[in-house]
Amino acid sequence: MSKHEPISIDAIKAMMNLSDEDLKKPLPVPTAWSQPFWDAAREHRLVLKRCSKCGNIDHPPYLYCTACQADEHEWIEASGKGTLFAYAINYFGVPFPFWADLPYALGMIDLAEGVRMISNIVDCDFEELENGMELEVVFDDVTDEVTLPKWRPVRK
Amino acid sequence: MERGEFAIIGTGEVPCGNYPQRSEFEIAYTVAREAIRDAGIDVKDIGAVLCAQHIMSNPDNDYNTEMVFGRLPEAIGARGCKITCMTSSGGASSFSLRKTAEGILHSGETDTVLVVHAQRFSTFTPNQQAKYFSVAGSDVEWEVPYGMTYNALAAMITQAYMNITGTTIEQVAAVCVANRRWAMLQPNAMFNHKEITVEKVVNARMVSYPLTTLMCNVLGDGGSAFIMTTAEKARKVCDKPVYVLGEASDYSHRTITRAGMKDFATMSEYLFPIAKTAFERSGLGPEDMDIYQIYGSYPCIQLIIMDALGMWEPGTTGALVEAGETSPGGKYPVTTNGEALSFGHTGTGVGIALLVESVRQLQGKAGKAQVQGARFLIENTGGGAFMDCHFTVLGNEIPG
Repeated sequence: MSKHEPISIDAIKAMMNLSDEDLKKPLPVPTAWSQPFWDAAREHRLVLKRCSKCGNIDHPPYLYCTACQADEHEWIEASGKGTLFAYAINYFGVPFPFWADLPYALGMIDLAEGVRMISNIVDCDFEELENGMELEVVFDDVTDEVTLPKWRPVRK
Repeated sequence: MERGEFAIIGTGEVPCGNYPQRSEFEIAYTVAREAIRDAGIDVKDIGAVLCAQHIMSNPDNDYNTEMVFGRLPEAIGARGCKITCMTSSGGASSFSLRKTAEGILHSGETDTVLVVHAQRFSTFTPNQQAKYFSVAGSDVEWEVPYGMTYNALAAMITQAYMNITGTTIEQVAAVCVANRRWAMLQPNAMFNHKEITVEKVVNARMVSYPLTTLMCNVLGDGGSAFIMTTAEKARKVCDKPVYVLGEASDYSHRTITRAGMKDFATMSEYLFPIAKTAFERSGLGPEDMDIYQIYGSYPCIQLIIMDALGMWEPGTTGALVEAGETSPGGKYPVTTNGEALSFGHTGTGVGIALLVESVRQLQGKAGKAQVQGARFLIENTGGGAFMDCHFTVLGNEIPG
């Protein structure tokens, strides 16, 4: 899809005079109300915050239910199944910590539970990406402390 | 708001582009004086001074702090100033500033308000700009760790819109070409030297598939200002006031995944009632408009907003643009300053620049870009990750 030669991370580093700190990837900093999501991700489980009063699922989660403002909630185990609503493939012009990963795919994933997430679509050729395709969650342990849920095409 | 209760009577603007030697303070003072002179009022008439928030301010001489603490009225000699404040809603700031001005005017505390925007990006390194602005539309906890960017967000919306409506990438590119043609007529536009073609736009370096560099906006230094008054005062001091005839708003989300409209191809269905309400309040319809000042920041968003006006069949606006109908000389002038894509992206100022251009058009002061005999137009603005939308119908007369 790109006719232009990629620019190497070393070339960018020299051109922009970047430090190692500039190349550190941003990681999620959990809030009190999102901590259970990231704790579960570390255990390779995908969970969602559901209101115990009205059943609304909030993702991203907030301090209290955005439908009825109740505090009472439970973290439910998601099926890990979803469909691809739309995608983009980043080739250029990304924050420098992501330069070495270029090109990479981003997708909007509609989860079976009715919420939508943005994440990377991995383990696939870009050519096979198709709106509506079935996806399943995979877990990427990006550091010892942080795991990012990502998605890949379901292999039949 | 009563129809035609408020009017804009003068504007000021500086060239948009890379001007590292020109501070944001110099821009603010310059455009303020130009707007005051253009309006033909005395600086002492100004009772309120409102500033748009500056993005990535210099911490050693922070523009935002200075403006919040009242630097601007003092520096320009607005000795009759009673109220000063800073307002921001990102890309929607032209609307939130104008609404604030309308509230102050309605209160009766003053009958003259100055609104100013100034921005300088070029003194920041590409790394600082990339770190801040490329991710500003994305959720820092849920999206940024995945390498999400503003461009990727627009790319996903474009990809979904093309997939569902059958709009082609050439039609998306045609929006950039039309914007550039208008910018070529604008002395203050960042990109007004060289025309572009659909072929060139499509074959430019891929940034975020399906968007190439020429489908993504570029940050520039710039600024603009306008003077707003009550209609009563406007008629006394100005030959051609531009009246606010109707406006309407809606907010949707911060995080794009929580947007009320789940299907971006039909995003126009979410936007349509907002435009319809603005038209109803103005007493005019889409077919009465002489110009459509559409602010999308990205070409496909311009098409989606055009889809929402009730003027054209949703999903067909790409073909309209491709046929040249929205370019200079076309049947439907759209976005006559070239917008973020060719005028330049000045942070919170893109919508303000488009509002200022709207006023110039309706005052007959738009120079080479002038749409002859323009009486009415609709303009829109929105901010964040397409978080909100505000439509306004403006006119140089109040229709009977």
